[in-house]
Amino acid sequence: MISARLSLLSLAILGTTSAVSYAAQTTPELGIRDKTPNLVALTNATVMTEPGKTVNSATVLIRDGKIEAVRTNATVPAGYQTIDLKGYHIYPGFIDPYTQYGVPAAAESESFSFGRRPVYENERRGGNAANDAIHAQQRWVTQFKPDTKAAAELLKSGFTTVQSARQDGIFRGSAFVASLADGLPNDLIIKADAQHFLSFSKGSSKQSYPSSLMGSVALIRQTLSDANWYQAATASPNLQLDGKPIEFNAALAALSSLAQQGVLFETSDERSLLRASRLLAEFNIKNALLLGSGYEYSRLEQVKATGQPLLLPLNFPAAPNVTTAEQRLDVNLADLRHWERAPANPAVLAQAGIPFALTSHGLEKKSDFLPNLRKAIQHGLKPEQALAALTTVPASLLGLDSTLGKVAAGYQADLVISRGDVFVDGEIVATWLRGQEKRFGPVQPAQFTGEYSLSFQGEIYSIKLTGTLPKLSGEASLGEKKTKLENIVVQDARLQFSLPLAALNEQTTVLQFNGVLTGNHLTGYWLDASGTQIAVSAVQQAAAPVTAKAAAAPAPMLSQLTFPNRAFGLATLPEQQNLHIKNATVWTAAEQGVLPSTDVLVRNGKFEKVGQNLATPRGYTVIDAAGMHLTPGIIDEHSHIATEQGVNEGSHANTAEVHLGDVTNPDDINIYRALAGGVTAVQVLHGSANPIGGQAQILSLRWGADAEGLKFKDAPPSIKFALGENVKQSNWGTEFNSRYPQSRIGVETFIRDQFQAAKEYQAAWQAYNKLSKREQGRVAPPRRDYQLDTLVEILEGKRHIHTHSYVASEILMLMQVADEMGFKVNTYTHILEGYKVASEMKAHGASVSTFADWWGFKMEVNDAIPTNTCLMHEQGLLVSVNSDDPGLLRRLNQEAAKSTMYCDMDEHEALKMVTINPAKQLKIADKVGSIEVGKQADFVLWDAEPLSVYAMVQQTWINGARYFDRQQDLALRQDIEQERQLLIQKVLTAGESARQGSTTVYKQDDPIWHCDDNDDWLKLRFGFGKHLHSHGHSHGEQH
Amino acid sequence: MKLLTTLFAAAVTLVSSNVLAVNPVPAPKQSVPLLLKNATVHSVVNAPAVQDVLLVDGKIAAVGLNLAAPAGAEVKDLTGKHLYPGLIALINQLGLIEVEAVRATRDDREVTATNPDLQVQVAFNADSVVIPTIRSNGFSHSLIYPSGSLITGRSALMQLDGWNWQDALVQADVGLHLSWPRMSLQTGWWVRDSVEQQQKRQAEQLDQLHGFFQQAQAYYLAEQAGLNRGKDSRWHAMLAFFDKKLPLFVHADDPRQIRQAMLLAQQYQIKLVIVGGRDSWRMAEELAANKVDVIYTAPYGLPTRTDEAYDQAFSAPGILQQAGVRIALSLDGFWDTRNLVFAAGHVTRYGLDPASALRALTLDAAAIAGVADRLGSIEVGKSASLVLSDGDIFDYRGHKVEQLWIDGRSVDLDNRHKQLHRRYQQRYQAAK
Repeated sequence: MISARLSLLSLAILGTTSAVSYAAQTTPELGIRDKTPNLVALTNATVMTEPGKTVNSATVLIRDGKIEAVRTNATVPAGYQTIDLKGYHIYPGFIDPYTQYGVPAAAESESFSFGRRPVYENERRGGNAANDAIHAQQRWVTQFKPDTKAAAELLKSGFTTVQSARQDGIFRGSAFVASLADGLPNDLIIKADAQHFLSFSKGSSKQSYPSSLMGSVALIRQTLSDANWYQAATASPNLQLDGKPIEFNAALAALSSLAQQGVLFETSDERSLLRASRLLAEFNIKNALLLGSGYEYSRLEQVKATGQPLLLPLNFPAAPNVTTAEQRLDVNLADLRHWERAPANPAVLAQAGIPFALTSHGLEKKSDFLPNLRKAIQHGLKPEQALAALTTVPASLLGLDSTLGKVAAGYQADLVISRGDVFVDGEIVATWLRGQEKRFGPVQPAQFTGEYSLSFQGEIYSIKLTGTLPKLSGEASLGEKKTKLENIVVQDARLQFSLPLAALNEQTTVLQFNGVLTGNHLTGYWLDASGTQIAVSAVQQAAAPVTAKAAAAPAPMLSQLTFPNRAFGLATLPEQQNLHIKNATVWTAAEQGVLPSTDVLVRNGKFEKVGQNLATPRGYTVIDAAGMHLTPGIIDEHSHIATEQGVNEGSHANTAEVHLGDVTNPDDINIYRALAGGVTAVQVLHGSANPIGGQAQILSLRWGADAEGLKFKDAPPSIKFALGENVKQSNWGTEFNSRYPQSRIGVETFIRDQFQAAKEYQAAWQAYNKLSKREQGRVAPPRRDYQLDTLVEILEGKRHIHTHSYVASEILMLMQVADEMGFKVNTYTHILEGYKVASEMKAHGASVSTFADWWGFKMEVNDAIPTNTCLMHEQGLLVSVNSDDPGLLRRLNQEAAKSTMYCDMDEHEALKMVTINPAKQLKIADKVGSIEVGKQADFVLWDAEPLSVYAMVQQTWINGARYFDRQQDLALRQDIEQERQLLIQKVLTAGESARQGSTTVYKQDDPIWHCDDNDDWLKLRFGFGKHLHSHGHSHGEQH
Repeated sequence: MKLLTTLFAAAVTLVSSNVLAVNPVPAPKQSVPLLLKNATVHSVVNAPAVQDVLLVDGKIAAVGLNLAAPAGAEVKDLTGKHLYPGLIALINQLGLIEVEAVRATRDDREVTATNPDLQVQVAFNADSVVIPTIRSNGFSHSLIYPSGSLITGRSALMQLDGWNWQDALVQADVGLHLSWPRMSLQTGWWVRDSVEQQQKRQAEQLDQLHGFFQQAQAYYLAEQAGLNRGKDSRWHAMLAFFDKKLPLFVHADDPRQIRQAMLLAQQYQIKLVIVGGRDSWRMAEELAANKVDVIYTAPYGLPTRTDEAYDQAFSAPGILQQAGVRIALSLDGFWDTRNLVFAAGHVTRYGLDPASALRALTLDAAAIAGVADRLGSIEVGKSASLVLSDGDIFDYRGHKVEQLWIDGRSVDLDNRHKQLHRRYQQRYQAAK
């Protein structure tokens, strides 16, 4: 004990000596030179030299900022200052690969508001990119300035090295790696050009584009493609494009180093992580590190399959607020589950063999890092895994594993000194940076806890001290009477306190004690009421040995883990079954019409046989469907469910480069709700904010699957166009009056010009591809343009247009432009005045998908009529009825039924409007949409005629697997309620500790998206602005 | 600016063409007795049965078997058809909004949070082209209300076949409407304020709300004593409230809001109707015990919370009814009111018994609107407001409204939609 204390006193002295000097290579030293040697021996320590390797009673020799040797029981060579660290642990210094250390923070953009005019262009200088969120040319090392205050926070958590760049924008620039030591930046920079930082967030950029997540993805894709093109186009000097020299582009030039420097991609949840990973894979970028979120456990298999190393934050959430009975109403099961499971995320990933490093990123207070690290360890992360994630793994990821991350000869002398095991309850008392010590506050090893008998005026007062430094508490007793000590102050080995005697012997005196603990002898004096010093001493009676706080094993998990991990998620994904459905009324949506008392066999996910009184093949599950109605699964031509962070890239008038499939959200509860309404497939369309919108994504509603698993296989690509009020920004507010077009006349001209551009682009590529290899070498290759690529696909008939449209004039207009430019309009959607020009659409070959009866919500729907379907159907058009709304989506059968009521459409014909007809419009009718042998077994069992208001879905099947069952749903509700209550009780039982943690990490569901939602999602999401109107939608559920 | 002006002008032109679209002529007064024979009569007060109904001078004169036709009576044989009371749609903005996105066509709300003096009926456009499309689905009456913030004004019951608002007005001052401030805490990314800010604002709004009622009460007390020195238009309009003649219609969804509203109603001992009521199922017993009525506006709704069952909003009316709460149903919009009848049919699959669904659109709706003495059932002495359908009026398969009588007047069921349909049918016929 004494030796330890003395050694730390000497540490204290060392700490005050000047730094090891590496300076003066180019910087003149003015005045007297500093020639203090750096020769230190740390002895008798327990050293974790690297993960899983511990050397006891070790001596670490430091020479000139580096570790010279690690020896066991060694004698210290002459000339070394010795520091006895008996009882202390030494670890390699920790490395944080994701900080903003030492760089100026981003200026927050002016608050976003609906009164502000949109910004379409950025300021151009220095060959910057056309988008303000792309500044890959930033080398943050050039801005680096050590920041003692920020460094201190990190050092206290054991970090000695960081990678840093400003975390703002999409292509954020090159980070650098630096030591957290003091000194000249020149000396502290370990790697000047480290990873490129990348994210989906445009941050402080004021530019309108991108306004959605899919816009961000598209921008990243185009930029990575441009970087490749730029490299090729500038590979040899004087290459030309279109007869012009290649522009200088600083951002693209900087990205040529991407593969070599690597990428650190910031993600916000596991969906975002998988999205980032797919995007990088598209460009074969393997040198990448993905910043995780703590949600990785919820899609572990997919996260593992990325093969990417991860960087995990430890910002575990505070429990959802259940403080009062009423507040429970605002708490959801998904958050309760995440609160319980988040601390186990690192352990789960380690167990799965996924390599990861740890970061302090995301912590509201850096001082939470160690407590949270220990929480992760209590939840199963092994200490050696934790150490690896803080040392060897990040060192290797940064390419610095030969000098950082271990306590070994030749490595930088970056050390963490802890009293006790830092992974259990040890306290970090100092960190060493390149042989320099940084100590935190007064080091006080004296152990005051115990009992002392101190006399005063003939009475023996028993003084008992408990607790740990710096929070000691004490009690004095005299006989049976007890009182608390006050004002306990400890400084090194000195102890002072006040003792009020009132409660002990009814004197009003307050005694004050001042003494020093040497070994187990406490010697000092009382100061009595008259100010007289009275010498006193006592022998410390050791307190009962404090059992090392046995890491309380975390309580067993009460929460379920489902896919997706929220209420109504599935514990296991449904499997295909071979079925014999007996005695149903079968609505085929095919030529056979409605078949009474009919059997259907389903085998390997397909309809095998339709007939009467069929025998049950062996191994088939029998469903007795007597009295039930069997229909094909409902299909919606126009939906916006399962989409995250924006349904419109509403900034530009043409956004053909964006793709809804990039932002599929498999966790959207509206998928499950749609299944409960008998829906099995939807086309997720871009909104209607621009004449040429984004690429659509057709989904098969396989609840529980991941984003890729939801996508309808082999569906031909499609795209959303839009006409009328929305695209001319009629109802967006008066500040939106500058984007072309603002009128229907402009829409026509704009679309024509865009297709003209596509034709010229197509021709340029064709011309280039005709050149010989040698000729190709003499010109720059054309730049791949994702927007024009998409339009070329339309011209080539490979991509199908679904165009939002209302009034007769615009319907005719688009067909005329299409005829002129050589493309087809596949489907007019909404098409409320379709009945006026049905014959023209028929002649063009377009199909139509309409609202059953919406009108009244804006000017251009003024002539809508609920018999639109019938009039168009009578003219021979292929008609479907769509929802554009997750509420309406669940009763598309009722929407179809309206045509039987308003205009006497045949019931079977009406059912086709929500089954085979939309399947045909989506070009998937060879696979789904009707009950015919050989087709995919997507079907619904109803308990009444499907077009009756009284029809209730009993079961919904996709591909021969059951995705909804009313009886199971009823049981699931009970389970969910029970689980909620268990977890709420767990939160309440945890008391204060449940309130600690981050309140910002929970996922937020998107609002219900509609066509004309055009908020700047990215601005809102990342807190750069605040929403001004609530999402009570003007054309919400009923409109 | 020029562009804006142009767009505005375009909007105005289109609106005017709306106004020019001619609605059917309101039906003349009943001139001769009308005997409706052999229809299945859904009287609401008795089980459906095949009966005759006699209408005289706009009132139901007799209901029974084999009624004799008075001299000069028109007799209609309705064998196989179904006769219901005219449907009553509570809580919507028919006639107040013509085109939702066009501000010039909206008269549904006022600024300020103290508007008890607003009488909504004065802006009711009896010539709205929307109204005939609602009638043709069986609705004879509508309770229109002003929206807005906190105290929004007074609602009025209108009949849907009138020359102007005065002609259409059935009952003014049905309720004093109060839009209760939000009491749930939101954490979505689209939320502007922190939880603390929200709590603070909620507390302030509650204080403000209670303050208004206290001020109004002060005015009432002074008025009784003849001590008011002038007329406060706002508080004067609330005298009836303190005389317990103007029930309180509170627009609220969350239990926190509803409980606070119940306290307020208790404090002033006033009849309370909850409008909205998404969460009312969570406290059905409490509402029943306190005799609070609910006008439930989410019969087709999505669940309020992600942990709720997919059909939670559908099953709320059934839960309320089983607990003994008197309910009406609403879709709280304007053009979509025509779908309310199907919404009522829809929720019968989720626990509301069909008889109660009918009451929710007829007698119970009338009772909540304070006109059950005149409307809502097929009983002698009541208004001859009836709807005739081909079958089950609640199902698409039976709903074919063949005739509608309002106060004995046979309403023309034509509408703009049918007119446009016929117009374009001619286009295609001509092309043949």
